[in-house]
Amino acid sequence: MARNKFDVDEALEGRFSFSQIKRLSKYVLPYRKIMLITLSLMLLTSMLNMLSPYITRAAIDECIPNKELLRLVVLGGLLLAIYVLNAIIVKFRIRAMSIAGNGIIASLREDLFAHLQLLPFSYYDSRPHGKILVRVINYVNALSNLLSTGLINLITDSFTVLVILVFMFTLSIELTLLCLCGVAVFGVILFFFKDKQRRVWQLYSAKQSNLNAYIHESICGIKVTQSFAREKENQKIFAAQCENVRKSFMAAKIIDICNWPMVETISTISTAAVFLAGAALMAQKSMSVGTIVAFAGYVSMFWTPVLNLCNFYNSLMTAAAYVERIFETLDTPITVFDREDAVIMPPLNGSVDFKNVTFAYEEGENVLENVSFHVDCGKTVALVGPTGAGKTTIINLLSRFYNILEGQILIDDIDISAVTLHSLRSQMGVMLQDTFIFSGTVMENIRYGRPDASDDECIAAAKAVCAHDFISTLPDSYMTEVNERGTRLSVGQRQLISFARALLANPKILILDEATASIDTCTERALQEGLARLLVGRTSFIIAHRLSTIKNADRIMYVSDRKILEDGSHEELMSPKGHYFKLYTAQYELSQ
Amino acid sequence: MAVMKWIFTYIKKYRFRLLFAFTLTLGSTLLSNFRPYVLGKIIDEVFDQQKAELLIWLCALLVGSVLLKDVFRVTDHYILEGTSQRVVYSIRTDLYNRMCSLDFDFFDHNRTGDIMTRMSSDIESIRHFVAWVSNGVFENAALFVSAVVILCTINWHLTLAMLLITPFIAFFAVSLGKSVGPAFRDVRNSLSRLNTVVQENISGNRVVKAFAREDFEMGKFREANERYKEASLKSSRIWQKFIPYLDSLASSLNVVVLVLGGYLVITNNMTIGEFVTFNTMSWALNSPMRNVGWLINDTQNTMACASKVSEFMNERPHIYTKEGSLCKEHIEGKVEFRSVSFSYGDKAVLSDISFVAPVGKTVAILGATGSGKSSLVNLICRFYDATEGSVLIDNVDIRDYNLRRLRQNISIAMQDIFLFSDTIEGNIAYGAPDADMDSVRRAAVAADADEFIKQMPQGYDTIIGERGVGLSGGQKQRIALARALLHTPSILILDDTTSSVDIETEHYIQQTLRHFSKDRTTFIIAHRISAVKDADLILVLDAGRIVQRGTHSELLSEDGLYREVFENQYGSFDRKEGERVGTK
Repeated sequence: MARNKFDVDEALEGRFSFSQIKRLSKYVLPYRKIMLITLSLMLLTSMLNMLSPYITRAAIDECIPNKELLRLVVLGGLLLAIYVLNAIIVKFRIRAMSIAGNGIIASLREDLFAHLQLLPFSYYDSRPHGKILVRVINYVNALSNLLSTGLINLITDSFTVLVILVFMFTLSIELTLLCLCGVAVFGVILFFFKDKQRRVWQLYSAKQSNLNAYIHESICGIKVTQSFAREKENQKIFAAQCENVRKSFMAAKIIDICNWPMVETISTISTAAVFLAGAALMAQKSMSVGTIVAFAGYVSMFWTPVLNLCNFYNSLMTAAAYVERIFETLDTPITVFDREDAVIMPPLNGSVDFKNVTFAYEEGENVLENVSFHVDCGKTVALVGPTGAGKTTIINLLSRFYNILEGQILIDDIDISAVTLHSLRSQMGVMLQDTFIFSGTVMENIRYGRPDASDDECIAAAKAVCAHDFISTLPDSYMTEVNERGTRLSVGQRQLISFARALLANPKILILDEATASIDTCTERALQEGLARLLVGRTSFIIAHRLSTIKNADRIMYVSDRKILEDGSHEELMSPKGHYFKLYTAQYELSQ
Repeated sequence: MAVMKWIFTYIKKYRFRLLFAFTLTLGSTLLSNFRPYVLGKIIDEVFDQQKAELLIWLCALLVGSVLLKDVFRVTDHYILEGTSQRVVYSIRTDLYNRMCSLDFDFFDHNRTGDIMTRMSSDIESIRHFVAWVSNGVFENAALFVSAVVILCTINWHLTLAMLLITPFIAFFAVSLGKSVGPAFRDVRNSLSRLNTVVQENISGNRVVKAFAREDFEMGKFREANERYKEASLKSSRIWQKFIPYLDSLASSLNVVVLVLGGYLVITNNMTIGEFVTFNTMSWALNSPMRNVGWLINDTQNTMACASKVSEFMNERPHIYTKEGSLCKEHIEGKVEFRSVSFSYGDKAVLSDISFVAPVGKTVAILGATGSGKSSLVNLICRFYDATEGSVLIDNVDIRDYNLRRLRQNISIAMQDIFLFSDTIEGNIAYGAPDADMDSVRRAAVAADADEFIKQMPQGYDTIIGERGVGLSGGQKQRIALARALLHTPSILILDDTTSSVDIETEHYIQQTLRHFSKDRTTFIIAHRISAVKDADLILVLDAGRIVQRGTHSELLSEDGLYREVFENQYGSFDRKEGERVGTK
């Protein structure tokens, strides 16, 4: 599997297209009403604002020379009313934009998170987790302003530009065209810079992602770092990552910084050109002074929204780098999904069949080849064999964490690819090799196996796996807050909690992947005595290295070389003196 | 305010640079007012008064002033962005360095997602402050002061009347600051929570899938996402509540000028020219007042973030190198525990542990889950400090050693394996980044990892996932073991490093370890008798106490936990069958 690590930029396939921006409209549309109201209110504001110069002029031209104090006060009052109304509209705009902006990113984030829930293990296994996290949190947050305030400004500014252009055209076509030449020039420049701008922001977002990945790993791996006294080395790497972020930011920002002044310069030059041309036209008597004065007024009004649009363009280019990454994640294909005609798996009995199953994580490198076996309901199967032989793979396939290449896997004679994943997985109890404890109480962690379980049921499950004793000694017993990865608990204790979690689901099929590797043998023995009772009526698959665990199984499969080499009970496998025989005798000999 | 001070410690270095940028900002603001002036001149002089010869000069002036302004602007933005990036760089690296120095206890109590929020989003807001808010404060203050001075020289009565509004604005601004502060802290906390939920979901994705708990996770996420949204909306609502007052008050300055100024003109206390000047200058007074709102708002946001960050910076490790500590290059490796007790909070984990591990000897520790085995070895590395008693290495209390030197002399393979998303080679060489390929391979061979690594598509260059996902438990353990073996310390600690490997592999590893640990003091924690039986000293732990000690044969001959464990593991082993098998 091609994996990414923290200091490698993630490559982005595909060219940027504005269709991605269009795709964002799906998130904006629910807020169209509030945005439309805001737009109309803003229109109202600008009309009101146009009134105030008239009021001021009336005061200066009429009231003051005529010494009409009362009228002056009235005009003042009118002005105040306009300002207050204006302020209220501003309040409304801020409110609407905050509702839209926060709502949009919340729903985008939700879609992203929901999609992540469907992505296969391989997605999570092939990149540092910090790089996934940065997309859900930081990238999405970066879009808030663009999609609310930015969008409204885009509309109002474009509208203003169009209206002013109409006025300009009616006044003088030649001068308007001259003015538009300026727009064309900067349009060309922006277009020329488009790819460059995209690249630099893309690079910046990749560096942010790298930094986030490194932070995440550094926190999770801090104990290893400290135990090897490697802090200095890591600090150097971290500083280098920060430096990369800083440099790439500046490289991208410099284009932004230059953009605005560039447009402004062009606008000023074209304004000057308008005046010069106007003067020339006036000399030819083909234009009046009044027209030129009026036109000049429009020209200066014209450039302000154009400059704003240029700013919008800049933030759009910045955001595009994030948007592309977000959509890339949303577009990552889900490989394991419910078929359209998937049915709900009926309550399990627990018979399992593998029929000619071939599987590979990567094409051309088969991990299992043509594996077939049948397990009856309620039997206990132990999988043994060298590490990395494919034992975990077999049980992963049973939960359909991966799709098989060839063959069929049947539970109760139903092909597992024909049922919904939820109905399949929720009926199996799996205890993974890598125990994971969520932050929360011990009780919540056990209850993870079955959300509707009562406290008593959780405690009963804990007792069944011999976890009750140690949980009782914790400061708040079952209500003790534990940390992500269960830092305060020993690995063995964590295993017991995840064991209880698996058992609580009351599954017909129980899968224990090295469930007890870090549990001491005495606890394990007690556990097994209880377990013998618990396993009645459940089909269970156990991966373990301790022969005492294995020997008690109804059936033992020796997995190696992509196949099941030996299959049978302990007695059956001992007599042919094959692989299992060797494995078993090793323990005996080594103990002597 | 302490927080403000803390930010300024980072900005101080750049104060002249920032001051220069602020001046440029002010310059470009003033220059931008020059543009309408020139435009007005062109209309008045050239077109109204027909002075065509002036046009070319005025156009040149127009372009020239804008060019100058743009030079100001580019320089000033570049400085501001650059400086803020540098400030962020130093805060972030300081934060990272602080994190590295914090002890295990801190990480036992803090969630990854929270620490991540400190180091990413919270710092981002400080950047915004350094670049833009501080600049805004300066610019507006400068504008305000200069407007007041100029207006006072024209007519101080009217100016004073205009300033009467200031206390009201100040009142609203202060109230805004007061009420929005907690709201922003709530935003930071809810973002932190959201970060934690997503981070745990990503890291625990296997468990989520295995239990088909996607819906539950969605619910948890929705709640955190919604809470963050609500908190953001709430902070915005506070700002919305104040904005009409601040805005109306600032704008009402124009009304004051109009009515009161008009009155003064009517009563002949002011000329009409002065009145017009007042009218045009009033923007310089009211725009800073109008901006007070967002400046306060953004500053409060920064304060909320910065207080989170500085709180983190103020975390102090309980375990650190004492002044005048022993900076010994080489440690021989004699380890001694003298009535050591250790507790986590109120919970006693180890009580009255005493033993001596002579140089080069192997000590094995056996005991039930949670009996304190890992805690015991953690004390040797000084990941925690003993609550009572002392741990000595080479007859010196470990608290007297330089921490870094001490740990450099100890190599540990922890029970809870963490591998980095790096190449296998990078992972094995984690403790000794300069190690050459040969020694990496030697360590891998010793840990019986060479063979499976070679079978991987890119061999030692294969990148493994974070935490080593995709590898089997046994493979992970062997890589972690190779990592510990690469470095040749005086003390080697193996905390349950072979629990997930098969017996043959374990046997092989034990044999190579014997060679490896010849001159090293070695601690082995294991559950299998086969892994501990050759040790020079076996300590049997039960509920934090040493209940038995001795060699394998000594312990077997006495009643106790050890024999119980032995029988557990081998008792069920059919002896007869075993003998029969053994003879053939």
